[in-house]
Amino acid sequence: MSATARRAIGWTALVAGLLLYPFLDRALGLQTVHAVSDGMIYVLLALGLNIVVGYAGLLDLGYAAFFAIGAYAMGLLNSPVLGSPLYGHPWSFWLCIWLAAAMSALLGLVIGAPTLRVRGDYLAIITLGFGEIIPVAIRNLGDVTIEIGGWRPVERLNLTGGENGVNPVGRPYLPGVPFETDPVPWYFLILVIGAASVWAMSRLHDSRLGRAWMAIREDETAADCTGVNPVSTKLLAFALGASFSGFAGSIYAAKLQAITPGAFEFQVSIMLLCMVVLGGAGSLRGVVLGAMLITVFDRVVLSQTTFLVRGIGRTLGVPALAALDLTLWRWFFFGLGLVLVMLLRPQGLAGRRTSPIAPDDADEVTAMEPSPPPRVESIPGWLREQLAPGPATREAAILQVQGLTKRFGGVVALHEVDLVVPRGSIIGLIGPNGAGKTTFFNVVTGLVRPDSGRLTFEGASLVGLRPNAIVARGIARTFQSIRLFTHMTVLENVLVGEHCRLAATVAGAVLRPPSVTAEERRARERARALLAFVGLAGKADDLARNLPYGDQRRLEIARALATEPRLLLLDEPTAGMNPRETETLTNLIGLLRRELALSVLLIEHDMAVVMGISDRITVLDYGTRIAEGTPAEIQRHPRVIEAYLGTGSEQESAARTAPR
Amino acid sequence: MNWWEVLVQQTINGLTRGAVFALIALGYTMVYGIIELINFAHGDVFMLGLFVSLAWFSLLGVTRTLTGWQLVTLLPLVFLLTMLTTAALNVAIDRLAYRPLRRSPRLAPLITAIGVSFMLENLALLWKGPAPIAYPDVFPSVDILREWFGVDSAIFLTTKDVLVVVATIPLMIGLTYFVRRTRWGKAMRATAQDRETAQAMGIDVERTILVTFLVGGALAGAAGLIQGMYYNIGMWWMGYQAGLRAFTAAVLGGIGSMGGAALGGLVIGFLSAWSDQYISARWTNAIVFSILILVLVFRPRGLLGEPTSDKA
Repeated sequence: MSATARRAIGWTALVAGLLLYPFLDRALGLQTVHAVSDGMIYVLLALGLNIVVGYAGLLDLGYAAFFAIGAYAMGLLNSPVLGSPLYGHPWSFWLCIWLAAAMSALLGLVIGAPTLRVRGDYLAIITLGFGEIIPVAIRNLGDVTIEIGGWRPVERLNLTGGENGVNPVGRPYLPGVPFETDPVPWYFLILVIGAASVWAMSRLHDSRLGRAWMAIREDETAADCTGVNPVSTKLLAFALGASFSGFAGSIYAAKLQAITPGAFEFQVSIMLLCMVVLGGAGSLRGVVLGAMLITVFDRVVLSQTTFLVRGIGRTLGVPALAALDLTLWRWFFFGLGLVLVMLLRPQGLAGRRTSPIAPDDADEVTAMEPSPPPRVESIPGWLREQLAPGPATREAAILQVQGLTKRFGGVVALHEVDLVVPRGSIIGLIGPNGAGKTTFFNVVTGLVRPDSGRLTFEGASLVGLRPNAIVARGIARTFQSIRLFTHMTVLENVLVGEHCRLAATVAGAVLRPPSVTAEERRARERARALLAFVGLAGKADDLARNLPYGDQRRLEIARALATEPRLLLLDEPTAGMNPRETETLTNLIGLLRRELALSVLLIEHDMAVVMGISDRITVLDYGTRIAEGTPAEIQRHPRVIEAYLGTGSEQESAARTAPR
Repeated sequence: MNWWEVLVQQTINGLTRGAVFALIALGYTMVYGIIELINFAHGDVFMLGLFVSLAWFSLLGVTRTLTGWQLVTLLPLVFLLTMLTTAALNVAIDRLAYRPLRRSPRLAPLITAIGVSFMLENLALLWKGPAPIAYPDVFPSVDILREWFGVDSAIFLTTKDVLVVVATIPLMIGLTYFVRRTRWGKAMRATAQDRETAQAMGIDVERTILVTFLVGGALAGAAGLIQGMYYNIGMWWMGYQAGLRAFTAAVLGGIGSMGGAALGGLVIGFLSAWSDQYISARWTNAIVFSILILVLVFRPRGLLGEPTSDKA
């Protein structure tokens, strides 16, 4: 039997089981539909939390706050407690559920916006703080009296129902469906919403947005420098995750008919986190599995085991066992579960397995299958078209830097540096270690803000732009220490590079209209063509971390090329490569310039490479430009020789000019 | 009570609260400084410190107020025993739960720490039951102003208030001496700045981390004992709340900075006492957490901390 057939049978069985379950339950008189439906609400919540924690890698310890907002939005809009005008209309539930989701999403934005520039563990604590503040606010806003020196502008105002909560809450209405008396319609309502969520999320996962979330999770700086806007990407994760809990909260409120602040405490956030972590953050199947396991454990296993142990205790006459209540241990077990999962299986039960790192034996690998030398024919046609210079871009200099200065505290990393990159040229940037070369790159790509100086790319200033905006303008870079998205595949890495040239939105990614499908197909074709060009054709589905060193360097270049740059910044691209790999890469750079008129700015310690390939070279020493000229001029320049060799100490020369 | 007596009284309350927060905050800040982990379980070590000290008192047969020579023999003994117990507990937590994750992504040990926190809380719940437990009045309480000075004032300043301050100051001085002047302290400061370089210089980093957890746990235990003697009550869930307030104190002072933790503890102590009085005790938690959020967003280095940044 083929894998497809097996999968089809599995899905059919699952769907049939889910559809038949309530009738089976009724036939057998089990009366478990209520409990199962309640449990499924938590599955829904875990799915929403998975967007934030699993996809975008933002640890949210206050997720129950969004659940609370959803529930209270439904409760307050659709109940008589505060005299909402919507209460009593038959169809108001269906309106309120959307309002509740919108309010949760809005709160997600409000909480997310100021916190996103904060580091990961601080973000976790901030969400925890919000998670604590919301229940406190709900409790206390049930009875608000403001007294200022005897004057009471507000007296006994009830905004939330306070400690007593909100009760009753309007039920959903469908003609002929008994939501009041029967748990089965609830089961199907939650099932439909849950199935729609899983469907939407799996589509989001395999989209431009899903890849952006994962890139942020893997390496935020690299993602920013590959054209992904971290702020809007993270905000989107927060808002979408929150809107899911808005849906879950409003169903919860309507199903329970009563909501109290106690249902949204810190423990609930932690239980949801347990579900996500146990199943495997980022894996939909894992999260559903984890959520179901924990719900069953919490609601069935603990109480049934208690019965069993008590029975044994009574039979054996051990009073301690006979009086044992394991349900008191539930939070202990959740804590233990978190610890054990993190220690023993951090990727979760169904998390993506990362195969062991390939032996780091680059020589052997190249000996087995030498990477093909780059050929003119293999340059992707689309890249040729995209980079064909338009009539509007005719300035001689593509990048102009004037008087660039950057200080770190008392250290002047760059001092009044001038540099010009003529269109279609290769400019080498050399200098001893610590001369400021990488700082120069960081300023040009927007990672570091200059203190003064002008920075003009194709006639427009770059100063003040975020890295991803600079990538969109047409500058791409690689890093001195390779920064790939290590737990994503080779193909996905290149697709992230295309992010800023794609247009799919959330709705587009979920609904996949023909335009989005075509765009996605084209993106994949382009990515594969690029991989073939750099010699990684057969490795598209490998994890980036499993590539040998030289391949990782080339993948980083392919990712940079995918952003359709007109200027490419390469930071020591041949560092750590053997002579053969170095030669291949040098040919590749020359080919890109010759065939695509790509301008290249190159930091390199291998003097043979720099001198052989560069049109002109700029030399930095202690942040100052000490020389500029053709390779031949640079090699004779007295100040360069001094900077590299020192004055009068020839022993040092070997150490300083050798590639690191 | 007129308005200034209320203010003085609440300031005294704030001072005693703040001293306890400061002792707990030191543990957060030291551990964060050295392994960049928000040790979520630290507040629960404080809570267990209270329960453990109670156990030591009952083992030593102390059920009533200590008098005379007992105060200078038994009380320091219980301090020592409690601090040793919680120090050992803290080290055990690190060895079992955090050490295997030293090279994992930053969020993995944080999630583990939350798990450990839940386990400790629930162990205390199972040990002592859900109801608050009474802590015997082991330390004599004397209304100092009235009985020693004969001042007829509405302000209530007792020997217990003095105890909190008198017990905290030597601990702080001892800690400062330890960190500034001893070999281990130097190793801790070096490891906090750059773990790899410290290792390259021959410092046993794992042992330094162990010492950090040891000291942090001991301080949390002392704070638990002081809390018990002062308030005469203990709850299994008190560690969570006290821990978060102490963590806020550490962040406010500048995480990684010892002086900052002490200062932050006092500030949070004063603010929470004043908020209880002048706004409403019901809102105090929300106010403390708002401070935490505002500091993290707008001044993550806190009052005394050094600027930190992710390594690019």
